[in-house]
Amino acid sequence: MQLGRVARIVLGAITLVVLALIYLPLGVVFLNSISTSESLSWPPPGFTLEWWGRALHSTGALEALGTSVVVGAIASAIALVLGTLAAMALSRYRFFGKETVNLLIVLPIALPGIVTGIALNNAFRTLMGVDLAMWTLVVAHATFCIVTVYNNAFARLNASGTRLEEASMDLGAGLFTTFRLVTFPHLKSALMAGGLLAFALSFDEIIVTTFTAGTGVTTLPLWILQNMFRPSQAPVVAVIAVILAVVSVIPLAIAQRLTAKDAEAVSR
Amino acid sequence: MDPAIRLRGLHKRFGDTIAVADLDLDIAEGEFFSMLGPSGSGKTTVLRIIAGFEQPTSGSVALFGRDVTALAPFARPVNTVFQDYALFPHLSVIANVEYGLRVAGVARKERRAKAEEALASVRLAGFEDRRPHELSGGQRQRVALARAIVLRPQALLLDEPLGALDLKLREQMQVELKELQRSLGITFVFVTHDQDEALTLSDRVAVFDAGQVVQLGTPREVYDHPRNPFIASFVGSSTLLEPDVAARFGLPAVATAVRPERVTLDGADGGVPGTIAEVIYTGPEHRIVIDLDDVGARITALEPNIGAGRRRSRGDRVTVSIDPAAAAPLESDASAA
Repeated sequence: MQLGRVARIVLGAITLVVLALIYLPLGVVFLNSISTSESLSWPPPGFTLEWWGRALHSTGALEALGTSVVVGAIASAIALVLGTLAAMALSRYRFFGKETVNLLIVLPIALPGIVTGIALNNAFRTLMGVDLAMWTLVVAHATFCIVTVYNNAFARLNASGTRLEEASMDLGAGLFTTFRLVTFPHLKSALMAGGLLAFALSFDEIIVTTFTAGTGVTTLPLWILQNMFRPSQAPVVAVIAVILAVVSVIPLAIAQRLTAKDAEAVSR
Repeated sequence: MDPAIRLRGLHKRFGDTIAVADLDLDIAEGEFFSMLGPSGSGKTTVLRIIAGFEQPTSGSVALFGRDVTALAPFARPVNTVFQDYALFPHLSVIANVEYGLRVAGVARKERRAKAEEALASVRLAGFEDRRPHELSGGQRQRVALARAIVLRPQALLLDEPLGALDLKLREQMQVELKELQRSLGITFVFVTHDQDEALTLSDRVAVFDAGQVVQLGTPREVYDHPRNPFIASFVGSSTLLEPDVAARFGLPAVATAVRPERVTLDGADGGVPGTIAEVIYTGPEHRIVIDLDDVGARITALEPNIGAGRRRSRGDRVTVSIDPAAAAPLESDASAA
């Protein structure tokens, strides 16, 4: 499609404005993390790495980082196992209520976090009568982490059909051997992408986390929320925010590359 | 001796569709057996039932006298060459061929040797370390063959294996398949919708229509004596004569199929007069369409292109005769079904 000169300039300008609106604030957070002004006055009077040093020695922040990594990793691991099993079941077998099950698995990603949070909070405390702890948080995160793994695996399985598995069984391999030698290698990159996305989702989640984390269980986003308005902590919060952004974006970028590379391989 | 494959009362229903209807079939050991039919005629479903990918709604499958109806694909002594080859994309060519031996627990060295031998037998030596996507269609086809025959199956099932190849390659692979079958001496069950392929390769052909075998016989029997109008038009080309037209040619007064190459023009004994409506030049022969006088029917004749000699042209008057031995009286559709 050919665009006129004026149209191109106008569209380019709009794109620039939108991108600027998204990324300038991020840049400001980064500048704040190296600003010499403790109260984040603007423009920054000078630059220092003091806050980065302090953040890296802040026990609260480091513990929160550790909690976030552990919760994200366990929730993603649970999601990988359950999401793969669900995807296999729904792509390979026909059974009553299949469409409903499909919807129920995917729904948590669309549900407002606050609803999921309240529901799980009630379920844990009143229905099951347990105290909120780290594992309640992990379970809560797993509910939406499953979705990304399931979606990726399901799409891959549906695109490839059953022909490779049939070929494997025809050549004498049983169900488990077929999964190990054919289905899993074929799914691997889809699972990697799904797992990384799941980790990224968990890593910056705050709403569900607020309702399901036990006392003393502080993830990175929770730590930021708690420390944001303490005057002396503001620059350290900025440092943690930059780290959070980087740790969330990297898995997304890798996942996207994995998916793109595979789409290419499949279409060949 | 028990047949290699014995199907009894085989019935397969997908929802409301009947894919295979009460099929009985015996396929002998060492036979090149073709299942020929248009798409949707049930031939592929029968193959998949033999391989074990589909369970029949009712009926039984026996391989060499052993009932395997309830067995999973991996427990059956047959292997399949798939229509789209279904090579494992993440494995090299040699690993693809070794796959069946590997899952059977054959030692690394032995399976490597056997796989290399199988690759050599399909003339793919030297391609061991390639990936499937680096091969041409014909080469993938050979890998699929090698992967199946390396296991020494008692029967090889081939699902339209040549469908994706271009004409020249297809003809070459036909010859190779036939040679391979002869040297292995095992039963080949070959599914195809290409009547040329079925006639050229097979010892016997089963013509499928609507989930049933409508004719079973040698290629010659099926071609020369098609049982019904469907077979007469699906296998090769024929002119179908109505009973009254057949009677004009001195044939029994029933619907009859006549192959164009068996129609004689201007024979010694005269025949039915007519006018040439069209002469089509096809290279090796002329296809001549004649409007017959008084009966209001058309018939097609083939005359070899012998270069010199008299050329026929539109509007020429001719007499048409048919050797009674070359005409195939048809059963009506109802009685054939």
